[in-house]
Amino acid sequence: MSTAPDAPLRRLWGWLDERAGLSALVEMARHKRVPLHRHTLWYYLGGMALFLFSIQVGTGILLLLYYRGSAGEAFESVQFIMAKAPFGWLVRSLHSWSANVLVFVVFAHMFSTFFLKAYRRPRELTWFTGMALLGLMLAFGFSGYLLPWNTLAFFATQVGTEVAGSVPVVGRFALRLLRGGDQVTGGTLTRFYGIHVAVLPALTTVVLGVHLVLVQRHGMSVPPGVEDEGRRTGRAPRTLPFLPNFLLRDAIGWCAALGVLAALAALFPWELGTKADPFAPAPAGIRPEWYFGFMFQTLKMLPGHVLGIEGELLGIVAFTLGALVWLVAPLVDRRPGHRASRAFTVLGWAVLAYIAAFTALMYVKS
Amino acid sequence: MGAALLVLLLAAAPTQEPPRPSPTPPSSCLQCHLELGGQAAEPVAGMRDDVHAGKGLSCHDCHGGNAAAGHDGDIDAAHDAAKGWREAPTRLQVPQFCARCHADAEYMKRFNPHTRIDQLGEYRTSVHGRKNAAGDARTAVCIDCHGVHGIRAVADARSSVHPTHLADTCARCHADAGLMDQYGMPTAQYADYKTSVHAQALYGKGDLAAPTCNDCHGSHGAVPPGVGSVANVCGSCHGREASLFRETEQKKGLELDLCIQCMVCHDNHAVKAPTPDMLGVGPRSTCISCHGEGEPEYAAASRMGAGLERLRAGLADARGRLERAEQAGVEVSEDQFALQKAQDHVVEARVLVHSFDEERFQAAVAEGAAVVETGHTAGRRAFRELRERRIGLGISLIVIVAVIAGLVLKVRQIEAD
Repeated sequence: MSTAPDAPLRRLWGWLDERAGLSALVEMARHKRVPLHRHTLWYYLGGMALFLFSIQVGTGILLLLYYRGSAGEAFESVQFIMAKAPFGWLVRSLHSWSANVLVFVVFAHMFSTFFLKAYRRPRELTWFTGMALLGLMLAFGFSGYLLPWNTLAFFATQVGTEVAGSVPVVGRFALRLLRGGDQVTGGTLTRFYGIHVAVLPALTTVVLGVHLVLVQRHGMSVPPGVEDEGRRTGRAPRTLPFLPNFLLRDAIGWCAALGVLAALAALFPWELGTKADPFAPAPAGIRPEWYFGFMFQTLKMLPGHVLGIEGELLGIVAFTLGALVWLVAPLVDRRPGHRASRAFTVLGWAVLAYIAAFTALMYVKS
Repeated sequence: MGAALLVLLLAAAPTQEPPRPSPTPPSSCLQCHLELGGQAAEPVAGMRDDVHAGKGLSCHDCHGGNAAAGHDGDIDAAHDAAKGWREAPTRLQVPQFCARCHADAEYMKRFNPHTRIDQLGEYRTSVHGRKNAAGDARTAVCIDCHGVHGIRAVADARSSVHPTHLADTCARCHADAGLMDQYGMPTAQYADYKTSVHAQALYGKGDLAAPTCNDCHGSHGAVPPGVGSVANVCGSCHGREASLFRETEQKKGLELDLCIQCMVCHDNHAVKAPTPDMLGVGPRSTCISCHGEGEPEYAAASRMGAGLERLRAGLADARGRLERAEQAGVEVSEDQFALQKAQDHVVEARVLVHSFDEERFQAAVAEGAAVVETGHTAGRRAFRELRERRIGLGISLIVIVAVIAGLVLKVRQIEAD
């Protein structure tokens, strides 16, 4: 019988390994390697998004301890969280700041994947699930924005759901589904609360699980340019062990992100504003969260009618078609280096420039 | 042309009306007066928007005669004295002329069961009415304020007696130096009123509840409020102040003389928004206009002014502190809400000035000061929390940087191996 201090842990490990096959997972992690080249930095964005999402889950659970999802109590409960609950201000501010940083990182992750052509065969499904996760993150943002039930959130949700209501064919249904009626009311808040804390987490768990499995299945994609260089020089690309080297580097980024979030939360706590009053006129300068800004600004700038078609409707159809083209990029862009593929790269930069310009324009105009 | 206007006038008549008091055939008055044109047509044109016409009344309801006759130009048939034809009344006759209907309860209730019928009675008590009865045709009669043909309801914003126009209407005579000189009356009331807080509320904010001439002087029974009734007149709106004022009179068992009627401190027509520096012994104080240095009232005014100023300054300070804490990100909305109570005490103290009871006044100030102190405490707590947050952030960042440094060293060590 062993008398070493770690003997109980070894026995526990042995017990778990026998039943869950943990050794095989550890062995797989030990053998997992990450390509090392001039674009390796972009690989960290996926892990960063995962880290930020875990902060969202943790702080979200803590907020649930105090938050009440009804029009009569939501604002007051968030007020209580900010003023009375121990470290409530910190938890809520971390949740709000982290949500925004998460959306930014997910966008950056998507664009890096796009420009490095990491979506090409056989990673099309990884791209599709990634896009689904981006949609889910935006849905988290949209539904969470209303939960404090403050004036800005109320009217921004009114505008946002109106846009959804303008979608051809299903618009009316979507509007009523989102609002729980014809107007934004306490019923909408309850509905958004349920979506935010139950529906979206469940969907995200499934889609994220598939995404991670696919990432493990195919490993990290090496950009076509780096592959070409390898072929030309005849040298195999350098790699880095995932465990512990890449994970430790990941952890450095996570710690830095935590520091930035802590500073943002402490120095710029997330504002609460004033309680929503459905009977009050909409205040000036209503605008959505920054990540919906480019769509908001575009719809705002479109003329009432274009070629006899309602401007807003035209904008929504254009966004829908644009998103579809973006989504199916891996199915069309199949030959890296080919002319069509270069066109996709140009398209990517154009989209990035458009999003940046119209987001900035929204802040300038308001 | 005249016939076309006649058709238009008839078409413009309201569709839902009380029973018409007269037969409905087209009035020959309208036809002839329009055809005559000029001065003869003026009453007809005015009748288009007249409240009486709107109720279904026409020329012959006031002037009598035969409106069904005269279509063939027979003026005598239309102006038939046997049919009750009456010429336009003289200025001395106007009140009685209008009162034939307006003092007739049975007649007036056909149009509005709540309408008043005491205007003539009230008018006869007024300065205007008394002089009119005494044969002075220059004083105001009904038509001077309401118009002749083209009279609008008081609630009609275009009416000359609507609150927003009433002062202008009164000023037509009362700002006329030529006319007022004949009665030895001043003419500055209108100009003074226009500078008042009441006029600012009425014209600037569109507050129709703000007083204009008739709210203090009465409408038909217009008289200048007597010295003894000024507090009652002001008190009809400023009830709390008037009640405190009267309590003081009763408690002290004295009849307060001219010296401390409302207008002495607040003026009458040029009532200004009361400011805190009206209390005390400063240059804008109204107390020192009656009380000189060395008098106990002067000392009391000085203490009261200082107390109110301390409370206001303390409140502003506490508010500012909480606002700064809020801008720095500390949630203080509940404390800000609680601090609003101190503003109530400021208002209460200012109202209690009218009790001339320093003890009561200082008690309100003390209550306000206690609330202000609670606000200061909340502000200090908020800033303490802010400091703690920043210290906590500093410590956290030190720990995080240390962990990052450790991880970097570990990565270097592993990759060196």
